Amino acid sequence: MSDPKMKFLVVDDFSTMRRIVRNLLKELGYTNVDEAEDGAVALQKLQGGGFDFVVTDWNMPNMTGIELLQAIRASSALKDLPVLMITAEAKKENIIMAAQAGASGYIVKPFTAATLSEKMGKIFEKMGKAG
Amino acid sequence: MSDFAGMEDLLQDFLIEAGDLLSGVDNKLVDLERTPNDTGLLNEIFRGFHTIKGGAGFLNATELVTLCHLTENLFDKLRNAELAITPDAMDVILAATGAVRDMFNELERGQQPSAADPHLISQLKLAIAGNLVGGASKPAAPAPVPAAAPKAETALVPVAPVVVHHPVGDDGIDWYALYEAVTGVSPASAGVPAAAPAAVVAAVEPSHDLDGKSADDIIKAAIGRRASDKPGYSGPTGRREVERTRDNSIRVDTSRLDQVLNLSGEIGLTKNRLNALRSDILNGRSDSETLHALDVAVSQLDLLVSDLQNAVMKTRMQPIGRLFQKYPRIARDLARSLGKDVELMLSGEETEIDKTMIEDLSDPIIHLIRNAVDHGVEPTHERLAAGKSDKSVVRLEARQEGDHIVIIVADDGRGMNAERLRAKALEKGLITDEEANTMDERQSYNLIFLPGFSTASAVSDVSGRGVGMDVVKTNIQKLNGTIDIRSTQGKGTTFIISLPLTLAILPVLVVRLAEQPFAVPLSMVREILPIEAQHVQEVGGRATMVVRGEVLPIYTLSGLLGWPQEHVAEYGVLMQTAERNYVLAIDSFAGREDAVIKSLDAFRPKGVAGVTTLSNGQIVLILDMKELLGSSADQGGTTRKALLRDRMPVAA
Repeated sequence: MSDPKMKFLVVDDFSTMRRIVRNLLKELGYTNVDEAEDGAVALQKLQGGGFDFVVTDWNMPNMTGIELLQAIRASSALKDLPVLMITAEAKKENIIMAAQAGASGYIVKPFTAATLSEKMGKIFEKMGKAG
Repeated sequence: MSDFAGMEDLLQDFLIEAGDLLSGVDNKLVDLERTPNDTGLLNEIFRGFHTIKGGAGFLNATELVTLCHLTENLFDKLRNAELAITPDAMDVILAATGAVRDMFNELERGQQPSAADPHLISQLKLAIAGNLVGGASKPAAPAPVPAAAPKAETALVPVAPVVVHHPVGDDGIDWYALYEAVTGVSPASAGVPAAAPAAVVAAVEPSHDLDGKSADDIIKAAIGRRASDKPGYSGPTGRREVERTRDNSIRVDTSRLDQVLNLSGEIGLTKNRLNALRSDILNGRSDSETLHALDVAVSQLDLLVSDLQNAVMKTRMQPIGRLFQKYPRIARDLARSLGKDVELMLSGEETEIDKTMIEDLSDPIIHLIRNAVDHGVEPTHERLAAGKSDKSVVRLEARQEGDHIVIIVADDGRGMNAERLRAKALEKGLITDEEANTMDERQSYNLIFLPGFSTASAVSDVSGRGVGMDVVKTNIQKLNGTIDIRSTQGKGTTFIISLPLTLAILPVLVVRLAEQPFAVPLSMVREILPIEAQHVQEVGGRATMVVRGEVLPIYTLSGLLGWPQEHVAEYGVLMQTAERNYVLAIDSFAGREDAVIKSLDAFRPKGVAGVTTLSNGQIVLILDMKELLGSSADQGGTTRKALLRDRMPVAA
């Protein structure tokens, strides 16, 4: 499942953060990465098709990460897309909220390539079991 | 040594983006003071701190993370209406924003930020706990500060590390256990830490006055750059040296770069076409068809090159809003420290201006704003007595007018008193009695640009140290711009700054001495007049000319350059600078040109700012008038006799 050609969508309103995530993904060998600056833009891009993995921030203007996640899960075309939520908080209620909305994984800022890899590995593992 | 080896790029990106974000937050805070219950604003500010915190985490800037985290928590409570904004809370928030900016400055120097003032941290914690009440908490605080503060520190420790310190990214959360817990059967696993950072312990402590900062601190904190600027005009190319020492990166919209790319591609195609035509012509083809094709190709190249120049210039253009954003907060803090109620209204933030100019404008605009807030706007009781509203409005506007950018700083204060200005300048010995008597209003207003002039009889720490306005003028002139004053007594004062669109192209006036052309910056030229013997008078052994009641010294260009005067100067160019107006006597002039300045790096003769190439291919020196006058002001002046050598009989 972890194919280096996988296409990622990195969603964050802070371009520095998008660049950080992009660099970390590159470190892990994933170079096919597109970016979106909020949930609304991301959803539009996702509806265009071709994406295999979404890494999204939580707190964004226009459309938050949770709203994006909910929209993805509600869409028949996108509902199986893995979505990794990034957030600055390790608050219990946040995690529960993400889980309820159907996040595939949850990662707390700041993180390293190793942590990202581990989280992604778990997601792939789970997807492998499911599929 | 930098604490960020290998992360410099990331750090730069972060500082630029987070800096903009923080300026935005500053502005929203000023708005928030007026509409404290605006949930939209509260949300945006919350998100600002949240985003900065997230980025700072990746830079391992722990102290910055802690500070942003506390502020964010406070805003979380505010936006959820668990707390209401009080003036005290506002002070703490503004202080926190200032501290964040201080930390950015430390980051910019390549250092990890040091811990924020513990007092500020404890104030934030108090505010979060809802205990930040100016008077009420005082009696309830028997414990002295040093005893109370550590208690708060230790109380926070179990919470903070969970949220903050994750260099390795191990957040200690068993996601899958939790996932199952939430979506399925079993109760929450023990792996989940009880993370409730909102429960911050309040150490009761007397609240302190955070407004103790001086105005200079306010400005320094807000700007974080160059505490002072030395007066001194370094010529039109001066910016190049300055530019080298500054941050050299710029954010450009990719569509603009694409345009540059497109145009260079098209120019390449046109070049190929011209190459083909050249071989045709060299091979003897000169029929009308070939010549027509050549004409078309050259016209096309002409268009494309000017489009390319524009497109490249545009990549340097930034909306001036990035600069304006800093000011509402500064104006607010200044006004508050002076006990005035001033609102800074911005408009035209989208106006685009050369990036270098944005940086160089920062200080002059601050001076103008603080001048407006301090001197322009009357104290509240005077305003009320004059039948004005107690709140005054200072406008900061930008707009493009033709090939110029106009920036306006206008107040609705008391206006300027020409009579008083003249008296002051006279008293300070800056002008003579005679000069004072011949001055019109406009000239009197311009007196404030003289070095050493300060009008406030009571020198405040905000302005009025006599440095400032002359530096403003010098800095604006350095950018080849001009500054003008309009004022109506009782109604207010308006400063109008006019700047060229770009510094890459300098409009010049080409003047001639015999056959030799020289270029002078057009921004200094007020008008050109013929030198007629009957208008030339000798004052104190110097030739002078009276232009509309103003007595101006005449300097001959040949005299300034140390050339023998071979011809009688026919024309005078009325030059206007911060320090003086004078007439530059020349033989003839060739007209206006847009010069692309090439600076002389290795070899720089005195009085020469750079060189440029005229449309006919001739190389011309661009004169640095200030330097020329400075070096030879005395011998540059000429007697009436010398000036009018051959014309004396006519005059007699």
